[in-house]
Amino acid sequence: MVTFRWLIQTFVTLGTNSYLLFPFGSVIYQGPLKAVCHPGLNCYSCPAALLSCPVGAMQNFLASLRFTSPGTWPRPGVIVLGYLGFIGTLVGRLPCGWLCPFGFIQDLLFKIPCRKFTLWPPLRWVKYGVLVVFVVLLPLLLVDAYGLGQPWFCKLICPSGTLLGALPLVLVKPTLWQTLGFFFWNKIAILIILIVLATVISRFFCRVLCPLGAFYGLFNRVSLAHLEFIEGNCVECQACVRACPTGVKPLLDPYNSECILCLKCLDACHFRALDFSLRRYPRPAKEPYPPHTA
Amino acid sequence: MPKKAMWLVIIFTLLFILGVNAGELDFLMNLGNTICLSCIGVG
Repeated sequence: MVTFRWLIQTFVTLGTNSYLLFPFGSVIYQGPLKAVCHPGLNCYSCPAALLSCPVGAMQNFLASLRFTSPGTWPRPGVIVLGYLGFIGTLVGRLPCGWLCPFGFIQDLLFKIPCRKFTLWPPLRWVKYGVLVVFVVLLPLLLVDAYGLGQPWFCKLICPSGTLLGALPLVLVKPTLWQTLGFFFWNKIAILIILIVLATVISRFFCRVLCPLGAFYGLFNRVSLAHLEFIEGNCVECQACVRACPTGVKPLLDPYNSECILCLKCLDACHFRALDFSLRRYPRPAKEPYPPHTA
Repeated sequence: MPKKAMWLVIIFTLLFILGVNAGELDFLMNLGNTICLSCIGVG
């Protein structure tokens, strides 16, 4: 399963960033695929990116909501909300574990041999604040004289944008060098800090800062595909807890919003106490047989 | 399929269709075809 997941991650990361004509034609891909959002965090300004970024798109929809000219429909970004909600309802946070290019980069970074640390659990709540403040409230409320907001998560935090978008673009487009200022160096500093943290703490960005992970995580308790715990098979060896990259205890809470469904716990469990299955409609409990009376 | 998941699938599908009909697909396309200066940290 681990090898299969690595293959899927590699295929998705390379496949969705496979526009290699950027040095010869337009600096970024401008074809029809840009109307489709990537299910993971993948900067659409990456010169090789084929798809749009759902977080960037959502912020831009909200940022331009008050800018809508009279007579046109307001565009609050329900297309992105519907798309992400649909995926979340079907598979929960599975895109984080299998499809997200930045998650894959963090998995690779964590393979670097060095001393590893565990995450202080309360930090996981930060990402919900990032989702509400930087992705929704600031783009919606902090607007200029024309009513136009800014994608503040992209502007201040997004390390995927810096690594996959900013750095390659600055390299292939030297005219951008003169315009680089505080925001660029701030993002470079954040990227370096996050790379160091991802090397020593598994999936640090996904667990602490990612607004997309926070959104998908809301669906883990209702998603169709889910992790199933078979209590009778568990010997409480804690192998699944040690294998989990996001610090979940599958035997206590298999539907935890931190679970990215990477299924490492399934590989670790030798007693088949965990299974990946589709949630079924709960059947009414059978009534016990009446006691036998002579 | 559990009822809750079924209702969520219906609601999100409707939202997606609503977005397509409100012209959000064109907006998304235009957005993706321009370099995001905020992502680079410019502007």
